[in-house]
Amino acid sequence: MATQLNGADVVIVGLGAAGGIAALPLAEAGLDVVGLEAGTRLTRRDFAPDEIRNNVRDWPQAVQKTNQEVPTQRPNAGAPTTRASSHPMMNGVGGTTLHYWAQSWRLNPWDFKVVNETVRRYGRSRLPAGTTIEDWPLDYEELEPYYDKVEWETGVAGRAGNIKGALSPAGNVFEGPRQRDYPMPPLRGTGFTDLMAAAARSLGWQPFAGPAQINSRSFQERSACLYHGFCNRGGCHVDAKNGTAVTTIPRAEQTGRFRVVTRAHVTAIDVDARGRVAAVRYLTDGQEFVQPARAVLLAAYTYENVRLLLLSKSRAFPSGLSNKHSQVGRHYLSHAQGGGVTALFPFNLNTWYGLPAQGTAVDDFADDNFDHGSLDFIGGGNLWVYSERRPIGAANMTTFGRAPNWGSAWKAFVKENADRVNTSYLQKTTLPYESNYLDLDPEAKDPLGFPVIRITADYQENERRINTYIQDRMEQWYRAAGAIAVQRNPLGTMGPSTHTYGGTRMGDNPETNVVNRWGFSHEVPNLGVLGGSVMGTSGARNPTLTLQALAWRTADHLVKNWKSIGE
Amino acid sequence: MFRALSTAGLVSLFAAMAIAQAPQALTVTSPTLKAGETIPRDYTADGKNVSPPLQWSGAPAPTKEFAVVCDDPDVPMPQPFVHWVIYKIPGTAKGLPENIPIDPAAAMPADVAGAVQGTSGFRRPIYRGPAPPPGKPHHYHFTVYAIDAVLDLKPGLTKAELLEAIKGHVVGEGELVAIYERKPSAEQP
Amino acid sequence: MISRRALLKAAGAVAAGAAGAEVTRAEGIADTPAPASAAADRPAHDHDQASPREPLEALTAEEAALLTAIVARLIPADLNGPGAVEAGAVAYIDRALAGSLASSREAYRRGLAAVERYARSSRGGSFRELTPVDQDSLLIDVETGAATGSGAGFDGSSAAFFALVRAHTWQGTFGDPHYGGNREYIGWNLVGYPGVRTAVTADDQRLGVVPAPLRRSAYDTDMFTKATARVDPRDPHHGDPA
Repeated sequence: MATQLNGADVVIVGLGAAGGIAALPLAEAGLDVVGLEAGTRLTRRDFAPDEIRNNVRDWPQAVQKTNQEVPTQRPNAGAPTTRASSHPMMNGVGGTTLHYWAQSWRLNPWDFKVVNETVRRYGRSRLPAGTTIEDWPLDYEELEPYYDKVEWETGVAGRAGNIKGALSPAGNVFEGPRQRDYPMPPLRGTGFTDLMAAAARSLGWQPFAGPAQINSRSFQERSACLYHGFCNRGGCHVDAKNGTAVTTIPRAEQTGRFRVVTRAHVTAIDVDARGRVAAVRYLTDGQEFVQPARAVLLAAYTYENVRLLLLSKSRAFPSGLSNKHSQVGRHYLSHAQGGGVTALFPFNLNTWYGLPAQGTAVDDFADDNFDHGSLDFIGGGNLWVYSERRPIGAANMTTFGRAPNWGSAWKAFVKENADRVNTSYLQKTTLPYESNYLDLDPEAKDPLGFPVIRITADYQENERRINTYIQDRMEQWYRAAGAIAVQRNPLGTMGPSTHTYGGTRMGDNPETNVVNRWGFSHEVPNLGVLGGSVMGTSGARNPTLTLQALAWRTADHLVKNWKSIGE
Repeated sequence: MFRALSTAGLVSLFAAMAIAQAPQALTVTSPTLKAGETIPRDYTADGKNVSPPLQWSGAPAPTKEFAVVCDDPDVPMPQPFVHWVIYKIPGTAKGLPENIPIDPAAAMPADVAGAVQGTSGFRRPIYRGPAPPPGKPHHYHFTVYAIDAVLDLKPGLTKAELLEAIKGHVVGEGELVAIYERKPSAEQP
Repeated sequence: MISRRALLKAAGAVAAGAAGAEVTRAEGIADTPAPASAAADRPAHDHDQASPREPLEALTAEEAALLTAIVARLIPADLNGPGAVEAGAVAYIDRALAGSLASSREAYRRGLAAVERYARSSRGGSFRELTPVDQDSLLIDVETGAATGSGAGFDGSSAAFFALVRAHTWQGTFGDPHYGGNREYIGWNLVGYPGVRTAVTADDQRLGVVPAPLRRSAYDTDMFTKATARVDPRDPHHGDPA
């Protein structure tokens, strides 16, 4: 027998990067907001610098819902499916921002208008075959105030490269113009990242310290980063990493208008006779609860956003909520962020400490920042080198074919070279294609018996050509800095990923998009979707700051239009 | 045609003909490995997996060093699976003794001092014998190359890299082919 | 030589996993007599168990002895210092098999038995009695999958068992000593890891600087709770504040 709860104005499903942001403007506006989170609260005492627990055993202290819903995957509709053993995202108040890398980039203006810009500069024939890409229904200028809002509200450390048109080489000279600088200077560099910056300059490139959603100095009474080296899949022991659990969620709770419900395993979204969302159903300890709402914001991560919509069938929506045009699951992509390059240096780098966000970036080869006239692809990649390494990871280093993987010869190699290796992070433009989509797997099920998501997707020619080009540049960079050997790692498959986009794409055309330019369903006016699933392109950087800016904008729109949307 | 050439031209022409000639046939044998017969267990992964002894004869005078490759063309892959690559074997050697060391720190036997092992299909610079999937016999080709120069060959070359590097220098070639089969076995508890 | 006291202690040992489940032992140690030649002709580096008279939580004494001999070849003690056995990697694996890695216990039972069977059928003797070179040769065949199909009884490819043991050996050698491995920081000393610091200065990150090695566990302070380090990941309610 389901327990009927008192109604709320807004229910947010999932309190990760996106849901955790939206709670604040809604609560500050005086709306009565309930946040349903499948995970629990974790605090600094749970974040020991422990490589076995963080990186090997993958957070046994967290509720394991995502690990029980790992999507299946296949490169195309003709191939058999396989299934990874673990999910890259986690459940908790703050979601994966509890351990994310916290790199915090704005997209470049080009990412919002790839079609228009490509046609203008190179001709329509340069758009890759099979892509379903559309220009975003908003441009960078329209999102700029929200980027600014999130940067100042949560705390992003960086140096502006373009303030109202005035360029500064200390920042990214390719970025879109911003109204003011970051609230804090960038994280400090290290001997190694400085060496790499000098090498980039010697090549005529324009390196800069990348932005991070991490305190570079004391901010909002939280500590500055202590660079201890356990940030990668690790929680911050001093709350310097500005995930939503230590920033917008507690401030929303302090208004008294936002209630967090933990261990709420959402199973469906109910609609009423008018085809508007009416309630969210969830389980806690096997007991079912029905939480009525005037509006629902779905923020459960790309896979779960799509899955909940497809599972929420009703008479009004027989093929899934907001799916009359069969667009739910379409235009899916996961970021081409594999294919890194690893380098061996003939001297120690002293990179035992630091964090993935402490590094040097080169954006000269991202997006359309360089002339593609004689090239056979569009887009590009961001080159990123950083300082951090942990001992088990070090002992698993590649030997560049110079030693076997165990034994005395291995031991001698590792003893000499453990601190001489560095791996770069290369995020590349990825586009949506007709052939890449999400749907429900016909066989694999979660423990409750619901089908899990099936990913049908692979990198296409454009992504592979970018990959080769960017690896060439990265090898060039490492060698300019003195590396004596490099190894190019595989691009990999489009399996479950931390950077996912599409599935509930945002656009003006309801026949090719699930949500409108404000993030609300074309078919269900009081259903909003938050997260990377609304984004139509990836750009050459992490999605988090952009999806947070979009989430804040969607929440603002809901507040301004509460009468027409919520009532 | 010959009347038109100078002496120097004749000498060049004969030299070119010598290089263009097909490599001499080497005779490759083994005291324990018989052509066309089953390879003894101890040269396979079902036994001690040590390299077998090989002997060769018939190498022409210009031979300066030897190389040996062992591969299996019966695998369901575009290229044969390589079990052994060993080269820079001195031109004075008449063969390879049994059990070439797998420890990189150990010295090569005196008769083949200076020999270098390359990278096999198992990604190791050592001999690894037959380990075929059960069901049918596979053929293992032990091919010996006589090379007319002391080439600058780096350690760890693959078969493809080796053959590319010795191209144009092979003055003798021979092989010994033997077989091995694993039977499907009942599952042990 | 295994003492009677250790045999009884091991036979009576109960797993200390946070789930509190009682460990049922598939074979009692008392059922398996020590090999007749055990005391005589041992290879050069012999280790009876992870260390003398140490209680085992999941492995039998014979399994631990075989695993020790394998681990001794994966990261040997040599001129570059002590190896994985000295670092307590076997103790780490045994303890993990009783707790977080319990799902791998069958793989170890089966895999270790297959290694021993393969040693006898291919190299003509128990693994522990082979020379180090023969042990390496055998392990290479297990690693590459060549041992699969030899009739030794590997579950699927022998390469999968090798990868499992290697991964756990690396965790047990280079992981935080709280888990039972990396004894005396042998692993961290080998790779030159300067140790767990909760704060790192700019000087600590300069080129040409070697930060002084700090030798302590992440749990040597009260800053972090240890309890959640050994929680059963299959329990949906752990991590929940009371």
